[in-house]
Amino acid sequence: MRQTESAQGQHGIFRAGRTVTQSASAGSRSNRPMNDAPLEFASPRLTQWDPEHTGDQAAREKLRPALFAQYGDLANLRYDYPLVLVDSDDEQSFVQSLSSIFDGILQKIAPPGASGEQLRRDMLRLETGIRMRALGGVEGLLSVLWRLTETDLITACEDAEKDRLEHDLDRARDLLGSDGPLDGHVIDCTEATPVRLLVHGWEQVQAAKAKAFRKKVEGLILSLSDILKADFMKSDKASRPEALQVAIGDASATDFDFDAMSAVLAKGPHENLLSEDRRRRIGATLMVLNSQRFFAPGRASADSSERDAPFDFVFDNCAEALDAFRDRLPQMVDLIKAITIAELEIVNRYRVSQHEAFFAHFDESELGEDELALFPSYLVCLRDGHSGASETVQAFEAIASGLPVKVLIQTDDILGDPTPEPPRASFGGGSTRLAAMAVGVNDAFVLQAASSDLYRLRDTVRDGLAYDGPALFSIFSGATPTISGVPSYLVAAAAKESRAFPTFTYNPAAGPDRVSRFRIGDNPQSDRDWPEHTLSFEDQDQQRVVEQVAFTHADFAICDARYAKHRIPVASSQWHDSIVPVDEHVQLSAEQRGEKAAYVWTIDADNALRKTVVDDKLLRGARRCLKVWQGLQEIGGINDPYVSRILAEERATWEREKETELEALREELDREAPQAGLAKPAIAEPVAPAASDEAPPTVEAAPASDAEQVAPADPDAAYIETPRCTTCNECTQINNKMFIYNEDMQAEIADPDAGSFRQLVEAAEICQVSIIHPGKPRNPDEPGLDELMERAAPFN
Amino acid sequence: MSAPLTECLLRTIDEHYSLQDYQSDISPRWCTGCGDNGILTAVQRLCRDEQLPPEKTVFVSGIGCSSRLPHYMNAYGFHGLHGRALPVAEGIKMRRPDLHVFVSTGDGDCCSIGAAHWIHAIRYNMNMTVLLHDNQVYGLTKKQASPTSPRGLKSNTTPSGTWLDPINPLTTSLGVANVSFIAQAVDWIPELLYDIIEQAYRHKGFSLVRILQRCPEFLPTLFDPWVRNPASTRLLVHEDGIQLSAALSKTYRNQEVHDPGNIHRAREVSSLTEEIPVGILYRDDDVPCYEDLREGERPNTPGLVRTVLDEEFDKFTIWPEEQPTDAAN
Ligand SMILES: Cc1ncc(C[n+]2csc(CCOP(=O)(O)OP(=O)(O)O)c2C)c(N)n1
Ligand code: SF4
Ligand code: SF4
Repeated sequence: MRQTESAQGQHGIFRAGRTVTQSASAGSRSNRPMNDAPLEFASPRLTQWDPEHTGDQAAREKLRPALFAQYGDLANLRYDYPLVLVDSDDEQSFVQSLSSIFDGILQKIAPPGASGEQLRRDMLRLETGIRMRALGGVEGLLSVLWRLTETDLITACEDAEKDRLEHDLDRARDLLGSDGPLDGHVIDCTEATPVRLLVHGWEQVQAAKAKAFRKKVEGLILSLSDILKADFMKSDKASRPEALQVAIGDASATDFDFDAMSAVLAKGPHENLLSEDRRRRIGATLMVLNSQRFFAPGRASADSSERDAPFDFVFDNCAEALDAFRDRLPQMVDLIKAITIAELEIVNRYRVSQHEAFFAHFDESELGEDELALFPSYLVCLRDGHSGASETVQAFEAIASGLPVKVLIQTDDILGDPTPEPPRASFGGGSTRLAAMAVGVNDAFVLQAASSDLYRLRDTVRDGLAYDGPALFSIFSGATPTISGVPSYLVAAAAKESRAFPTFTYNPAAGPDRVSRFRIGDNPQSDRDWPEHTLSFEDQDQQRVVEQVAFTHADFAICDARYAKHRIPVASSQWHDSIVPVDEHVQLSAEQRGEKAAYVWTIDADNALRKTVVDDKLLRGARRCLKVWQGLQEIGGINDPYVSRILAEERATWEREKETELEALREELDREAPQAGLAKPAIAEPVAPAASDEAPPTVEAAPASDAEQVAPADPDAAYIETPRCTTCNECTQINNKMFIYNEDMQAEIADPDAGSFRQLVEAAEICQVSIIHPGKPRNPDEPGLDELMERAAPFN
Repeated sequence: MSAPLTECLLRTIDEHYSLQDYQSDISPRWCTGCGDNGILTAVQRLCRDEQLPPEKTVFVSGIGCSSRLPHYMNAYGFHGLHGRALPVAEGIKMRRPDLHVFVSTGDGDCCSIGAAHWIHAIRYNMNMTVLLHDNQVYGLTKKQASPTSPRGLKSNTTPSGTWLDPINPLTTSLGVANVSFIAQAVDWIPELLYDIIEQAYRHKGFSLVRILQRCPEFLPTLFDPWVRNPASTRLLVHEDGIQLSAALSKTYRNQEVHDPGNIHRAREVSSLTEEIPVGILYRDDDVPCYEDLREGERPNTPGLVRTVLDEEFDKFTIWPEEQPTDAAN
């Protein structure tokens, strides 16, 4: 595992950021988006530890995992945060990272090479300034933070530079967003992030839903109103002087003589007026559509001053959300009924005999998934330690109900207290299991993720919010009160990295089976127990040492003050073979464990590297975490023992079969060996016909099938090739009893005795497509038969 | 978007339209033997087979014998002005995209006085089925030369014969931007006439079917060479186009496999003079329809019209004390 090499750049643990100075120079060389720049791994300094100090509580609390070394100053890293909660019509992009917005702008305005270098540097300073403000707790619209930071930069720069800087930054601001100014709240990774992001995403999804709903319902209102309007225009009322005056408008009322105008307009009797019953039904339907409270009125809605305020859908507990759902059920039923009646009326398919009874008994049992999907979903935001303990149960009830309820459970502490006492009003360490339990509900969407991953998982978050059924979002904020001095972003990222809070998604809409629905691939090195990283540092002889280290649950837990007494740094003089890394230790049998101690790599406040031995409490935590993670891997199809067993059996069978086949072939070859030297002729490939531009392909006509022959069985009978008839009326005008049209309006001979042979012959002669065949005369006494038979001959 | 519940209820309604349900009280007043009769029959059969509700179907026409077709249909109809069938149909489709729109127009109506509308209607590609009844003469006004009359045709306006070559409605249409469906049929092969109109109806976009139509009254022998000799009709067959019944295939042996996606070959085939090509010449399902391009985010309700007008007027209003509040979205 351990090797030495000359100092060289390495990838860091979270792959989220890179130092500002480096990304700027990488961008200047290639004009690639700055995110492509490689990341430099900071080398922590290895120093001698004074054994005297190992008991110092304060120093021990400041220990952090070694791999945090490079993330000491987040302001100078370009990573996902801060985020911008974008105000946009486009629900696809409800959130963007500040860096991605800046990259987008730079790609548009900064020319490649040296000429764009100054602009890139200025923009980077602006971005860093905004990021520092956000890290410092300043919140506000991007446009506002931009202006504040821009003013600072301009004030601070040299006079000669001011104009250029102002011009460049103004130009950049004009380009925010792809189609013009994009704005939104800038938020950092804090305890408030999960709620803010989820609420914002939910609002965007609801806005899109509202748009679709209004388009549909306002279209229905328009069509129903058109039916009433057309009916009114047919009535006598429409031509009365008062109605005419309303139609013209008050402004010109005195210019017209409406009595005279009314007198010249035609009056009844009017045809096809609506029945009173239908008019009433349409009126009542319009009332319900116009007064619904599930969505706020929009630009195309009728005057909304009289309406009741729209309903609220965001709650801080499940009971109220479910109560609201129940209370509103009658109005949901009315609205769906009105929409259905409207749709039937508009296509003129409301049948009183059939539908009256159906709608009289219309109740909530008619509301299926498709109907529920029309309405907004309910969002419940819970927070571990803040919401009542019974909320977990209620949340599970809500999720299992199948109703469109979206529950956010935010957890700030996933380690829980090291004491064995069960937690109060908190899920404690159990919060990491909530999401896994919800997967069992089967038709609920489930996302477990740490805040640090929310931007990367924005599409998944949106899918969950837009999913028609229930959804659970279990989010770890990283804002653990007992972990001080480490930014929430880093805590959240470490929780995911250490498998303490792995990311996974269960999306019932993604497919019919578990394999397509469950995803754990968003975790680093998801096929391993723990992700491994390269730790490189300088030893006492100034030699660069490179070591592969696993980032385990214990590495994460040592940051927490409550676990300070469960770990102890050791001086390098005490490093020996019986101290093994935690990932190795958890694999040991119970007996072997007694002989070995386990350590994690840590750094102190001065970035000095230490091995820190952890006690059994932390090791037990690591073992437990690993079990849970392996359970998730199994669900996700990684190292699934069942699948592995089947695969092994299948492979063995396959190998046996192939071996038998090979054996047979070998024997055959041996038998043919005497004639060796001649290869077997290959089977000739069928040759595709050559395509030619010149001669278009023609088709050989297929013979007519018997069924399609229209000639009658009796060769002397008259007949028409009916399918070829052009409905020209010639024959039917000669005799419409003899020649009639079938249901396709094509002529056939109905009754050859309904007229004379002469008429048959004349029809045959006049038929322009020559499809009438007169046959032989049926009445031998008809005069002039000889001549007629001669004329008929060409048509028989 | 229709709620599944509505779809369910609609399925329970057992109503069936027969061909007679599409026949109006007025019986056709075309001359006996006129090709328009066969076109009417094909359209009525299509309405029946597709079960188009008469109140959701509209037939629009200009002026001419062919333009009388809407009178004979039991559906909505608009017998418009000479040459103006297409703008009327476009207006209907724009305001009522839910209606099935059919247009009947003559060669004079479409290719002479209405030629500008014809070209632009192709470009707009609105979803409608257009039947160009091409009898190569003005029938209603008793035999004047039309733009498609063969050169030399003697008529009331050209007693010594026409001087110019006719316009070719197929190649002309195939040259217009956004063309999406062009086919040719003849009134005397009813089976194909029906199949082609059916495909035109099913195509989403502007489908133009030029139908060579006999006018026995004024040009009784014009199409005789083709009517009497099946070999002079070239049937265009393709798995994406027309497929022939065995009986038809036996009579019409002159066939070409023509891919309706191949516009170059479509233009070549359309230019044939000795033979009449019959079938789907060109089809492109990907051309967007104007009514879809222009479909707003919200329906044009009186409320929206008022809001938008108010907003525009507000731009020119002087507000002494306060600014108007933004309208809701
Ligand atoms: C503006 C105007 N100009 C001229 C006419 C006279 N007019 C009526 S029908 C017609 C030509 C019809 O020919 P076509 O469109 O080929 O139809 P067909 O009768 O042959 O079916 C003309 C010129 C008219 N009605 N209106
Ligand atoms: S004359 Fe011929 S084409 Fe005309 S209706 Fe009779 S059978 Fe049909
Ligand atoms: S004049 Fe010609 S086109 Fe008009 S109805 Fe008579 S046959 Fe038909």
